[in-house]
Amino acid sequence: MHLSVKDVRGIATYARIGLSDEEVEAMTVDLNNIIESLKPITEYDLEGVEPTFHPIAGLSNVMREDVVQSGLSREEALANAPSQQEGQFRVLPILGDGGGDR
Amino acid sequence: MTGADYSSLGVADIQAGLAAREFSACELARAAFERIEAEDEHIHAFLETTFELALKAAQRVDEALGEGLVPQQIGALAGVPIAFKDNMNQAQTHTTCASRMLKDYVAPFTATCVSKALEAGALPLGKLNMDEFAFGSSTETSSFGPTSNPWDLDRVPGGSSGGSAAAVAAGFATVALGSDTGGSIRQPASFCGVVGLKPTYGVVSRYGVVAFGSSLDQVGPFGKTVADVAVTLDAIAGRDPQDCTSQRIEARFSDFLDAGVKGTRIGVVPAFLEAKGVEAEVVHATTEAIAHLEELGAQLVEIELPNAAAALAAYYVIGPCEAFSNLSRFDSVRYGYREDGGRDLGEQYEQSRAHGFGPETVRRIMLGSYLLSSGVYHMYYYPAQQVRTLITQDYAQAFEQVDALITPVSPRAAFKFGEIADPTSMYLSDIFTIPINIAGNGGLSLPVGLGKTSGLPLGVQITGPQFKDENIIRVAAALESCYPNIARLAPSLGEKRARFEGGVR
Amino acid sequence: MRELQAVLQDWEAVIGLEVHTELTTLNTKMFCSCPIGFGAEPNTHVCPVCLGMPGALPVPNRAAIESIVLAGLATGCEIMKRSMFYRKNYFYPDMSKNFQTTQGPVAFCMGGNLDLEVSGNAAGERAVLAGTRPTVEEGGYLTSIGITRIHMEEDAGKMIHVGGTDGRISGAAYSLVDYNRCGTPLIELVTEPDLRTPAEARLFLQKLRQIYLTLAISDCSMEEGSLRCDGNVSLRPRGATELGTKTELKNMNSFKNLHDGLAYEICRQAEVLEGGGTVLQETRHWEPTAKRTISMRVKETADDYRLFPEPDLAPYDLTDEFIEAVRARLPELPDAKKRRYIELWGLPAADADNLAGQPGLSTFFDEALTLCDKARPIANLLLNEVSAHLNANGIALAKSGLTPQGIAELAALLADDTISSKQAKEVLSLMIESGKAPSLIVAEHGLQQVSDSDALEAIVLEVLAANPDKVAEYRGGKTGLLGFFVGQVMKMTKGQGNPRLINEILRKRLDN
Repeated sequence: MHLSVKDVRGIATYARIGLSDEEVEAMTVDLNNIIESLKPITEYDLEGVEPTFHPIAGLSNVMREDVVQSGLSREEALANAPSQQEGQFRVLPILGDGGGDR
Repeated sequence: MTGADYSSLGVADIQAGLAAREFSACELARAAFERIEAEDEHIHAFLETTFELALKAAQRVDEALGEGLVPQQIGALAGVPIAFKDNMNQAQTHTTCASRMLKDYVAPFTATCVSKALEAGALPLGKLNMDEFAFGSSTETSSFGPTSNPWDLDRVPGGSSGGSAAAVAAGFATVALGSDTGGSIRQPASFCGVVGLKPTYGVVSRYGVVAFGSSLDQVGPFGKTVADVAVTLDAIAGRDPQDCTSQRIEARFSDFLDAGVKGTRIGVVPAFLEAKGVEAEVVHATTEAIAHLEELGAQLVEIELPNAAAALAAYYVIGPCEAFSNLSRFDSVRYGYREDGGRDLGEQYEQSRAHGFGPETVRRIMLGSYLLSSGVYHMYYYPAQQVRTLITQDYAQAFEQVDALITPVSPRAAFKFGEIADPTSMYLSDIFTIPINIAGNGGLSLPVGLGKTSGLPLGVQITGPQFKDENIIRVAAALESCYPNIARLAPSLGEKRARFEGGVR
Repeated sequence: MRELQAVLQDWEAVIGLEVHTELTTLNTKMFCSCPIGFGAEPNTHVCPVCLGMPGALPVPNRAAIESIVLAGLATGCEIMKRSMFYRKNYFYPDMSKNFQTTQGPVAFCMGGNLDLEVSGNAAGERAVLAGTRPTVEEGGYLTSIGITRIHMEEDAGKMIHVGGTDGRISGAAYSLVDYNRCGTPLIELVTEPDLRTPAEARLFLQKLRQIYLTLAISDCSMEEGSLRCDGNVSLRPRGATELGTKTELKNMNSFKNLHDGLAYEICRQAEVLEGGGTVLQETRHWEPTAKRTISMRVKETADDYRLFPEPDLAPYDLTDEFIEAVRARLPELPDAKKRRYIELWGLPAADADNLAGQPGLSTFFDEALTLCDKARPIANLLLNEVSAHLNANGIALAKSGLTPQGIAELAALLADDTISSKQAKEVLSLMIESGKAPSLIVAEHGLQQVSDSDALEAIVLEVLAANPDKVAEYRGGKTGLLGFFVGQVMKMTKGQGNPRLINEILRKRLDN
């Protein structure tokens, strides 16, 4: 067992997915099975092997010039908003902090 | 032109017909929709059809033709009916990713691959079904119901680009675009008996394609023939200033269709044919294809890919981690499904995401969230990226010896709905395609007839060196000539369906 | 609570700063081509990328990377050729992707330092400690503050909390999000915990701001939030080497608040520790009006941001050409400028420091110097009359209508005694009013002072002759009457007599 039910509940909270108790139970089984199948990764001797985070070898320094281009109008920006007010996106109030280190 | 007449046409047939004034682009568009209306209720390839947009595009093509231009002058895909996987943004259409989360989402911009296809004169028929957010190998995880395999309505079309493969196989769209993160173009192409190509990572811009695994995703074409796939790739490939990872592409892929394989060296991977769980008919079909290549003058070389076996595990680390982060933006604030019943924003997030995402999507997000957490990161994510280096080196070394590789695409032909319920077993359907995404190379699924046992389409996978996708086109086009084209059998869908009449679905 | 001075006798404060600076002088955001701007209507400077629309991809702004390299070079950092962007994953509605694109273990700039010269009152907070060198000035010292790193990242949008008190989060009925600021290029500088007093922290931030302003990479407005500073502070008994538990301090949005917030927090921690309590590792909010810090959040465990390399952005492998091209753009920095003003132009240290720290003023000064080499009168005019005028009217030098030519000319008129310093003030206000050249104003208003010593001598004799009693009193020891005589002479010259000459002549006549 890699993960307990409690671990899985913690992961769900972090991922902001509300799972019922039954869903957490089932998810715990699934995740443990999947994690077990990842074993080959943990069995490698990888001493001195560089990771490949970016698949195109040698690709670097891709940048653009500092030139303004037109974006979306406010109407376009808000067109898919589930709730809006005064040209802004409206959300339920935030309880607690959780705002990172800003 | 009837829908049936239309459905067997390839890109070259369309361009010849348009040039000879045998039919107009508008007639093509109408025929395509006639076909879709008649058949798609059984297939469910489309999530949205865009008749008006197609007709407008067709009118522009017809006007240009009327001014005396030939189709190729109008664009490489002038008058060619095309459809897009529903993870590709196209302004004025929905982009749902087959998820309840994006059920009502209307894109405010267009993906580069879509706009390039449209600039080349293609007629946009609509948006195609898929596994939700591309998580799956069967299109069963779509929130809007699965797509059926046109060869057997009780079977899956594969996935995640199942709608794309089915739309081409059923003769709805002449070509279609899909995306491939671990086999999502090649496996459904193989299940549906059409050609599907995942180019080298970086050949086609990912801008505007909803991301699953950013370092794995690549857009590619489906078609009835290698030629159709090559010409479509020519239209959509190349550097896009909006995607840092897109690359300048010098080659014109369609120039390599007739190059043949005489004198080329082609690698075979015995370990893949001997792998556990590979059906005998798949081994047989692959062996037969290898023999054809040898007959055509290719030199065969046995290749070892010692680290490929770990690709599946690496993929189920890297993919979910990237997906977890990519899917964080679906928070019900700027767009997407929202439940407002909560007391605060935290509950709004949790309820909206729990009910907006389907179970497989939740599973991947959860897995990624776990694998990236501190402490765990160095147990799985980091080593997975190191293993990726080893796999990439395996392929690089292989391609020092050979011009292309030939392997199976999928261990088996299309399976029945619900047949594979366990996620980890489902993940095994991509064992031959996943290593290619991990290494970043290109791979194509070529139909090689019907399975001896299943009677269902089978494919072989042709793989090439990074950014040498023309090798793939060259080998696949040569091999294609050894088989009757089963993709063009799609017009017989009506008759085939008669065989399944009274079936359970 | 005890006073800071007293607390710092017993406790050593260990302070580190995190300084976020928006690169406001750029045209576009960090990863998209939306304009950077303040005060625009909400959600009008947005696009699919900065709104985190599905399918959108980031492309970095070259000018932002140049700016951070510039900042690194100016603060003695090593420019790391190889670095990557990372995704820092956490949910917050003002961050459209729910991850912030930032840098990982290797930032573009690593391991720099700034030297601080602490003098006057600021030096009083710290007894000279090991690692600092006393300066020539009485009670002052020099200290070097390490810079851990400067990394590149993107800013978040802005939120309004509606229905609560004072726009704060607590008690709000709902919140509104504006993404105009989302994606603005942001550089974060992190110092080593080398600061020991609130005064040093303030001085460090002031110096850093002067450098950034000189580099022209940001407007560095603490009021508008383009320069933001958080502090980490812990206490340990004097002489101890082990670090105490630190708190993180936020909302110090002015130099004064930075100083006062840290000072309060040091005293608060001392009180907790002296009372036998323990300092909690927490984030605290400085409330300037109540003059206290309040707890926002206790950190029980380290935040887990699931940091991993951003796959959508290519890694960096900066070339020597890139770095050298940026280095070539490096302007003269405040410290070097100050030295030049003292050594080459003979300015007093305080004036040199003052000028060097204000890029607009010092550029103006340098330009004026190319036309007139009277450095001290130019500096005096700029630091006194011009600055007072600009401050009083709240206008920028660039928009004042004043030119280096005008100031140079004015300084020349002062230096050759054509006008008095009192007249210079008058000329200056007429220059600002009319935009005319000083010489023209002097001529038009007949403002030149009488510096003809023969003429002045005649007037002096006349005044002395008219006041024999006063002359006798003066010579009897009441030298304070000199002012009276000067006033009389001035009166007769209608205020245009050269005061220096008048004094000279009067003394000569009275003292002999």
